Amino acid sequence: MQDERGLIEEAHSLGGDYFLLKIAAPRIAATAKPGNFVMVRVSPSRDPLLRRPLGLLESRPPYIWLYYQVLGHGTKLLSGLRPGDGLDILGPLGNTFPELPGKRVLLVAGGRGIVPLFHYARAYGEHRPLLLLYGGRRRADLPLLERIKTLCLQGLFIFSEDGSLGQMGLLTDGLEKIVREERVDATMSCGPEAMLARVALLLKSRGLENRASLEALMGCGFGACHSCVVLAADGSYRKVCDEGPVFPLEEIQWRT
Amino acid sequence: MADLTVDLGFRTLKNPVITASGTFGYGEEFLPFFDLDILGAIIMKGIFREPRPGNPPPRLVETPAGVLNSIGLAGPGSEKLQEIIRRLHTRTNTPIIVNVCGEDDREFAEVAAVFSAMDEVAMLELNISCPNIKKGGACPAQDADHTARLVRQVKKVVGKPLIVKLSPNTADIVEVAQAAQDAGADALSLVNTFLGLAVDLEKRKPVFANVYAGLSGPAVKPLALRLVREVCRRSYVPVIGMGGISSGRDVLDYILVGAAAVQIGTVNFYEPGAAVRIIGEIETEMDKLQIKNLSEIRGKLQT
Ligand SMILES: Cc1cc2nc3c(=O)[nH]c(=O)nc-3n(C[C@H](O)[C@H](O)[C@H](O)COP(=O)(O)OP(=O)(O)OC[C@H]3O[C@@H](n4cnc5c(N)ncnc54)[C@H](O)[C@@H]3O)c2cc1C
Ligand SMILES: Cc1cc2nc3c(=O)[nH]c(=O)nc-3n(C[C@H](O)[C@H](O)[C@H](O)COP(=O)(O)O)c2cc1C
Ligand code: FES
Repeated sequence: MQDERGLIEEAHSLGGDYFLLKIAAPRIAATAKPGNFVMVRVSPSRDPLLRRPLGLLESRPPYIWLYYQVLGHGTKLLSGLRPGDGLDILGPLGNTFPELPGKRVLLVAGGRGIVPLFHYARAYGEHRPLLLLYGGRRRADLPLLERIKTLCLQGLFIFSEDGSLGQMGLLTDGLEKIVREERVDATMSCGPEAMLARVALLLKSRGLENRASLEALMGCGFGACHSCVVLAADGSYRKVCDEGPVFPLEEIQWRT
Repeated sequence: MADLTVDLGFRTLKNPVITASGTFGYGEEFLPFFDLDILGAIIMKGIFREPRPGNPPPRLVETPAGVLNSIGLAGPGSEKLQEIIRRLHTRTNTPIIVNVCGEDDREFAEVAAVFSAMDEVAMLELNISCPNIKKGGACPAQDADHTARLVRQVKKVVGKPLIVKLSPNTADIVEVAQAAQDAGADALSLVNTFLGLAVDLEKRKPVFANVYAGLSGPAVKPLALRLVREVCRRSYVPVIGMGGISSGRDVLDYILVGAAAVQIGTVNFYEPGAAVRIIGEIETEMDKLQIKNLSEIRGKLQT
């Protein structure tokens, strides 16, 4: 875990609210694994005060790649950064997705939830059969498709709610069929809470090994503030930043 | 070179920078960032007798230059904390201070006694000022009589120096401060967080389940600095000031109004190495201002 001054190499607008940053951050890149995230200080001023959590799309020393959607003030400021600008980045943080050698793994990515799963596919795709189920509201919410085609995947299933790309509907509409027909052993999901809750429901008691990466409002990102909790199935709280962000799907109490 | 040492009367600290309770975890979380030996002292996150789950999320939201928190003193209970302290003590020689909490006066005394008995613990800080336990933010530090009673009861069962942490959410903090020192507090610390409110306009609901939450961070510094000055003018025990400190100059401001030492809180969240930077800045500022020793400026505000 490092608080490293990264240097922005490339900053791309991918259309709509989506942006991609390539950053030289050799110390973080050296140890980051799929599932890890970072906390970025979007402004050196006190506005906003807190850092923002972002996943790692890829990490290949000395670079890391961030892919983000502009939601509010912090991500808006981030989108103003240009090559040559510095950025304080804390990481790598949190736990990782298990490697599961030899298993047939289905990655389930909703919208910006693609981030840690892209990292997973980039890091492990060549060593095991991987499938990706990727969905968003419309074509514009799936701007990474061209890059995804460079990943080593045995199957790619695309859904959009308005049918502008791939099949029309929610990605969860296609989940059961894929799991059955593709003889999936394990799933790794990341996306909006409602999507993850639906995935959990659909995969219940199928005997698969299921993991999900969660989001939460974070004060620090390294376990000190106890702000980032989610309710576990056993009624206790888990800190997303250091007990997660990756949890067994069954361990979380999903609100449906 | 500037001399940063601080004499609290009952203990000397190598510098005035103490990490504030609830903002420095249990110390261990910061081991990856710097050597904890550089700190004046470390205060543990608040502790009750039994483990507590804390409040439901959201627990922390940003405000302009600040944060509102309603963590609700989530924690592992006093037995587990003893283990954590023993472990931390093997990693650092910096004095460890336990932030003692209680649902009622008896629990405060019980928890204080447990940690007072530990060799690894240097002092206790009595957290009679947390706004996130009861709905509405009520706490013992809002009432001078209650504060006096509680401090007297705790003093009877502890052998370690007792710091009493005061709340800004009271009509007359100076009266409560007097009550605490008269009842035997060895030092006072202030302030805990300011009661605040955030609402969700769309849902027509408060953001936090507990309705009110505690405000901290740079935004509160002028408010806190005034209260520290007021208390320092009337206190005969050392006062530890805090609220919104994020630089070496902020620290010197608190010393100037009379604080013996300071605590740094929220800044640890967004800059985990802040303590190192701040201690460095105190030295540079002192050299620049030709201050050799902190006592040269302590309480020397000219009005
Ligand atoms: C571990 C982790 C990894 C993440 N990875 C990515 C990523 O790779 N790419 C990406 O685009 N985003 C990611 N996010 C989400 C990202 O952190 C938030 O979108 C960002 O913090 C919003 O900041 P802002 O200042 O733009 O918005 P704000 O002004 O802070 O908030 C705008 C709105 O978004 C809501 N919001 C803010 N933060 C979150 C959050 N964490 N979860 C849900 N709602 C939130 C707020 O309540 C508010 O309604 C991740 C979050 C976590 C916890
Ligand atoms: C998330 C959070 C948790 C806190 N927990 C405690 C606590 O357990 N005990 C306590 O006495 N004060 C607690 N505080 C208050 C701080 O110790 C400090 O009094 C306050 O934050 C003001 O300092 P600052 O502006 O530098 O943060 C907490 C503050 C925050 C932000
Ligand atoms: S974000 Fe601070 S403990 Fe998780």
